[in-house]
Amino acid sequence: MMAAAVAVNGTASSSDWDGRYYHVDQILDRPGPRTDPSFLAGDEVKEFLREKCKILVIGAGGLGCEILANLALSGFKDIHVIDMDTIDISNLNRQFLFRPKDVGNSKAIVAAEFIMNRVPGVKVTPYFGKIQDKDEDYYMQFNLIICGLDSVEARRWINATLVNMVDPENPESLKPLIDGGTEGFKGQARVILPTVTSCYECSLDMLNKPTAFPICTIANTPRLPEHCIEWASVLEWPRVHGEKKMDTDNPEHISWLYQIALARAKEFKIEGVTYSLTQGVVKNIIPAIASTNAIIAASCCNEAFKIATSSAAYLNNYFMLIGTDSVYSYTFEHEKRQDCPVCGGESLDITVNKEWTVDRLIEVLVERQDIQVKKPSLSAPGKQIYFQAPPQLEEATRPNLEKKVSELVPDGGEITVTATTLPFNLSLRVKYI
Amino acid sequence: MSQTESRDIQQATTSVASGQPDAKTRRYDRQLRIWAASGQAALEASRILLVSSSATSTSILKNLVLPGIGHFSILDSAITSPADAGNNFFLNARQSIGKPRAQEAVPLLRELNDAVQGEAVLKDVSELLSTEQGKDWIGSFSLVIAHNLKKDSLEQLSALLWANPNGPPLISVRSAGFLAEFHIQYHEHCVSQTHSETAPSLRITRPFPALLEWARSVDLQNMDSTDHGHLPSVVILVRAVDEWRKSHDGNLPKTPAEKKEFKSNMLAMRVKPDEENFEEAEAQAWRVWSEPAIPSDVQSLFSLPPLATSPRHNATFHALLETLAEFTKDPSGPGTLPISATLPDMKADTKSYVQLQNLYRQAAEVEKNKFKEIFAAKHPEIAKTANPDEVDTFVKNAHHLRVLRGKQLGAFDKDRDAIVNSLSMQPREAATHLALTALSALLSREAEVTVDALNTEVQAIIGEGIEFPDELDAAIGEVARAPTADLPNTAAFLGGLVAQEAIKVITEQYVPLNGYCVVDLIDSWTGIIG
Repeated sequence: MMAAAVAVNGTASSSDWDGRYYHVDQILDRPGPRTDPSFLAGDEVKEFLREKCKILVIGAGGLGCEILANLALSGFKDIHVIDMDTIDISNLNRQFLFRPKDVGNSKAIVAAEFIMNRVPGVKVTPYFGKIQDKDEDYYMQFNLIICGLDSVEARRWINATLVNMVDPENPESLKPLIDGGTEGFKGQARVILPTVTSCYECSLDMLNKPTAFPICTIANTPRLPEHCIEWASVLEWPRVHGEKKMDTDNPEHISWLYQIALARAKEFKIEGVTYSLTQGVVKNIIPAIASTNAIIAASCCNEAFKIATSSAAYLNNYFMLIGTDSVYSYTFEHEKRQDCPVCGGESLDITVNKEWTVDRLIEVLVERQDIQVKKPSLSAPGKQIYFQAPPQLEEATRPNLEKKVSELVPDGGEITVTATTLPFNLSLRVKYI
Repeated sequence: MSQTESRDIQQATTSVASGQPDAKTRRYDRQLRIWAASGQAALEASRILLVSSSATSTSILKNLVLPGIGHFSILDSAITSPADAGNNFFLNARQSIGKPRAQEAVPLLRELNDAVQGEAVLKDVSELLSTEQGKDWIGSFSLVIAHNLKKDSLEQLSALLWANPNGPPLISVRSAGFLAEFHIQYHEHCVSQTHSETAPSLRITRPFPALLEWARSVDLQNMDSTDHGHLPSVVILVRAVDEWRKSHDGNLPKTPAEKKEFKSNMLAMRVKPDEENFEEAEAQAWRVWSEPAIPSDVQSLFSLPPLATSPRHNATFHALLETLAEFTKDPSGPGTLPISATLPDMKADTKSYVQLQNLYRQAAEVEKNKFKEIFAAKHPEIAKTANPDEVDTFVKNAHHLRVLRGKQLGAFDKDRDAIVNSLSMQPREAATHLALTALSALLSREAEVTVDALNTEVQAIIGEGIEFPDELDAAIGEVARAPTADLPNTAAFLGGLVAQEAIKVITEQYVPLNGYCVVDLIDSWTGIIG
């Protein structure tokens, strides 16, 4: 890897060779029939792409590895990558920058090194940590952000952060966000222009509802192997192990759950509890393959390339792919939600039955697919309704759970919802029926 | 379970390695959840030939080496150019320039997965196509994939592989800048494991004897109220259908009024207004009036005309398909497809759910044995040699079988009516396909690629007097802009799409493409044509 070492030490342009960008330059040297007239073909666009543009990749996993390689080959030379995870053996079927020797090491660091070794002149700056560790100043330095995440919570956080950063006086504060996701043979890629187009929060109700088994089924009438596994993890683990936290990455913990679930299944004559299923249920494993990640990552990087260069129109704004039956895809414009709690700027209208208690309202909020909140705390202007934490406050506000909402908040009044899983304050306008 | 019991289990399990998977299973865990051990075994037995080691070709291979195909060969006589070193991740940048491209790519692909064998063959495909030995070698693979191959070589390759229905399918890929397409050439592809998301029939209107017996024997008025609230919805529905038929000359509810009446009759069986099992039965009532004896997709397979060139390895599938048609007509059978043993979850107590599940399993077993009897009687030779797993898989998936019949590469372009029709029905797909076809003709003649030259080529394919839609100007203009560009993102996109199709073809799971898949990465869409 001698050339690579030279490249890392040299400046970006000195590591280039004649003909290096033969393929990409065919696009950058002249416009096509669908290219916007503002496109500056030739040196100007190349200079911006290769010397000025700074791009952030969030996630160095299945999508992230692909995204980094595509960006590097496309000519982006200042790439940053954030990932809090370390490499696991089950990543190796698709996260192609990692080898068995890398298991246990930081994904961001290993991926960055690999790219810099393979593609000379590209600088990849890794950060081994959480996106929440970084502040607005950090995110402000980038021209574009691409997300390849598997967590809804992290996506909501970065989406809300970028929407909040937009200052109408300063066009530079609007950071295009490109988001990708996959599951099995299916996936989606989308372009979000914070405050301008539909944001991640606007489309929250498109997500599949996570399978939740009622606790009474788990405790009393198990029918499926999954019910037995939930019994082991939700009820038996805390009963037997008390305060000791379950670690779903610890094979001994999974084995314990498997054995307990298996015994329960035998007792009820239920078939189908396996180690693999146990792991799948408790870790909420999403099947993943290299090829689907390649498609979605390529789509994300292609949009990033088009946005950075204006060489062609970019996706407006959602691309969905289903590869299970032939190749089916659907490209459409997802509409901005007027009452979006993040980019709508208004409060969300909610219809509340006059008889509902605060406890009932919390239940309803937790159920709602377009809100997706766990353990919300509620307050009204100048009034605490119910707080989940700290313990003293929880105790002090607990009596309100039994009170009717209508006794605490007037018709048309506002309730502010906060939660640790919610990266913003959600305000609700109450209407009684 | 008592606390002592669970502690005993805990002690027992901490000392024994308990069910933990081996390293290979752990590595492939996320994909085994998609295609299971059978799909993995098929991948590991496969041998794939890639004609070219372009950026697109190595992207495709990467996505096949990672999941663990058995072997790959790259056939390519090209020497790495500075341009290759710039757009191909599986070359050692500047160090690879001047060295054989395939030879440089192989080790970088192989290091992705120790279990995969790979080799570079530094020859041009035309050389192999000119000798019998070369042709045999090409025909020995499980699948052949070619990217941006010269027109005449591609036509020869396609003709060679089409001439032998038992030979490998051919995936041919073309790309230029933001535009691309690929085609899969096969005579016939049969799938039993389609992994359809529609649930198979629960046979509510055609209950097997034990299910009907249970439904009739339930004493709804006098049973314990907890048991009443836990009676599985399937049993409720079968009971309601049985009662309806008795008072309607054996007919099912047909008119909207009858359907409404059926539902209210069923809900009248409740003893409490909030019984969830009855709500579930009401939500499932559509099964009573909209389930044909045989799903139309499967029915249509029964009358499929035989193919003169059906691949040999589809013989068992066709024999099973004939057996299935026979099974549905058998007077001693259920008059429909064999029942599925899998029961979806429903509101019920453990005992009645498990009991119901066992009834479905037993019924499925009985019908499978009946199916096998017919199979052995109708196709004694095939039945003797058929893999029992294949038979079981077929019966289990009888509700979702698929047979795809493909065309030879280029057949679409020779069918002028089809092309002209597609220009008005699917203008953007047809336009992109035609622009890429015209490009390939120009490049093979080493002619200059201009908008005018492309227009002339397209005219030659579709004939005089056909108006060009706007989409054609957009596609031709884009092809003229970047006629030889193998863009990293387009290569990666195709790498994923083509690998998905290759996996579906090799594993015989899920449903592969039939025809051309056309890709436009400016407006970010894909479409199917031809």
